[in-house]
Amino acid sequence: MRVGFFLASRQLKRSGKGTTILITFIMVLTFLNLVVVSGLLVGLISGSFKQFREAYSGEVLITSADGRDYIENSPALIAFLESHPKVSAISPRYSVGVQMLGSLTDLPGKNEKPNRIGITLTGIDPDREEVITGFSRFLKYGEPLEEGDEGQVLLGANMIKKYSSFADANIPGLSLLEDVDIGNRVRVSFSREGGGVVSKEFIIKGIVKSKVDEISTRAFITDRELKKLLPVNKEQVQAIAVKTDYEYATTLVAETKVFMEGHAARIQTTDEAIPSFLRDIETTFRILGNALSSVALIVASITVFIVIFINAVTKRKFIGIMKGIGISPQAIQFSYIFQALFYGVVGSAIGVILTFGILKPYFDIYPIDFPFSDGILVATAEGAAIRIAILLAVTLIAGYIPAKIIVRRNTLDSILGR
Amino acid sequence: MIKIEKLVKTYGSGELELVVLKSLTFEVKAGEFVAIIGPSGSGKSTLLYQLSLLDEPTSGEVTLDGIRTGELSMQEKTDIRLGKLGYVFQDYALLPELTALENVALPIIMQGHTMQESYVKASLALERIGMVDKKHNVPSQLSGGQQQRVSIARAIAHEPQILFADEPTANLDSANGIRVMEAFRDLHTKSNQTIIMVTHEPEYAAFAGRIITLVDGTIVSDERKKDLP
Repeated sequence: MRVGFFLASRQLKRSGKGTTILITFIMVLTFLNLVVVSGLLVGLISGSFKQFREAYSGEVLITSADGRDYIENSPALIAFLESHPKVSAISPRYSVGVQMLGSLTDLPGKNEKPNRIGITLTGIDPDREEVITGFSRFLKYGEPLEEGDEGQVLLGANMIKKYSSFADANIPGLSLLEDVDIGNRVRVSFSREGGGVVSKEFIIKGIVKSKVDEISTRAFITDRELKKLLPVNKEQVQAIAVKTDYEYATTLVAETKVFMEGHAARIQTTDEAIPSFLRDIETTFRILGNALSSVALIVASITVFIVIFINAVTKRKFIGIMKGIGISPQAIQFSYIFQALFYGVVGSAIGVILTFGILKPYFDIYPIDFPFSDGILVATAEGAAIRIAILLAVTLIAGYIPAKIIVRRNTLDSILGR
Repeated sequence: MIKIEKLVKTYGSGELELVVLKSLTFEVKAGEFVAIIGPSGSGKSTLLYQLSLLDEPTSGEVTLDGIRTGELSMQEKTDIRLGKLGYVFQDYALLPELTALENVALPIIMQGHTMQESYVKASLALERIGMVDKKHNVPSQLSGGQQQRVSIARAIAHEPQILFADEPTANLDSANGIRVMEAFRDLHTKSNQTIIMVTHEPEYAAFAGRIITLVDGTIVSDERKKDLP
């Protein structure tokens, strides 16, 4: 092995620099193909998970249990969370399903659909929401909602024809408000429990837009105003977003479940709250990424094989001479394996520097503008280590086989070039 | 030291069979400087390959230090080549990526010596053939004669019992050829090195103490000289 290393190091040091650079470059590209391509594919979905957490759920999301209108025991739960040392902020949200009428004066003609949509009206505390989600960053037009606002509403862009990304999609059942913009009045109405209708007019103060549906498809007023509209259960909220350490979220969920024993509520970490279809897409993208990585691995192994094979064939005479003067075939094989490993290690090292030093920070700052997410590069040290191990194993085999083929040839035939 | 008995080497079979060595028998004793000469195609290089364990005879026996080499495995032959034999090839056969010092040190490292020991021994070998000042040059920075002398240093650095040389002056001009032959003679006279050399040039064969002449695979003469030129 020592002689193999000796030969390999000298060959690498004194053979053509261009060849070494070219092979190393191929190995870098292979590494990037292994880590970055699949990382970007997965990152398109993971970006949406990240946005869901940052724009809506926090690290823990508590919502009404199935079949319930609100989170039971809400006031005590809010007090529990506010006093929890690991909770840095919470945002309780009131939500009610409403009908929103866009045209207050013109009644629809015969065979005309009314300019009306069904929408979730959410009452928020703007200051608390700002701490959890930085809500003001979603304001695309108009002015932000403020604590003392009355009769003012922020509308999700995807519910207004002028701003919606789906306006030209003609999706069956999708209704959008037409001829509605900032400063216009809309009428909100919803059924009162026990009969009757609550109705109130709001002025559109701003348009909010995000790749998170919970922002772009809802209407927002202050929680204080919504509480006034609600006839009953004024203190019971429909959702609470909780900000805590990401790593602590599971523990907090468990603690909260213990606290809420006997009270109905759905308590989930942000990862649990993500819709399963998004998880399925993530799995699909991961499989696609792995398939692409496999192709990259095959290409890399063939490249290394060809390079080592040509290298060994052109040096067949010298291999014969080495065997002739008593250098063991194993030592000669090791020299080629070391060379292959060198290409793999250097290529991987450069790939790691590029990935974690340049590409990952770049995509964190400038994510890919994907329609339903801001795509990031998902690359972990553990994942990269596994891929490096696979790459090196493949490289090692690709270096060993051609060396073995050439070294096993008859010594004298090699020396005489027969 | 080395003995061959009824050594036959053929290539091909049937009508295409070519008998290159025809039942050769002779012995080389320790300390001898033997030149094998003969015209092209006489089988002298083929004989050297059998003697140096680079090839296997079709029949007959090569015995080295009492060891019947026909019974050895490939690995055992490799070990013997590394430990007991040294080679000087016609075209120098230095590894192009290694310096002169590294080329010479390679077999010594392979023997298990430390790098430092190997380089010391290699330097000594280069010094013996007057090439120590070129030890950091790679082969492409050396002339043909210098490369062949480095090749000799590599062949003797691990102190082999027998040094084999296959047409060592074939690619050299007359002046360099003489210098190489003088190096062989010095090795023989000063270190009592056993040398078996193939050449087709009588003036270089004259440096040897014994000349075996081969024609068509048969020994036609085997002469010992009392005095070196």
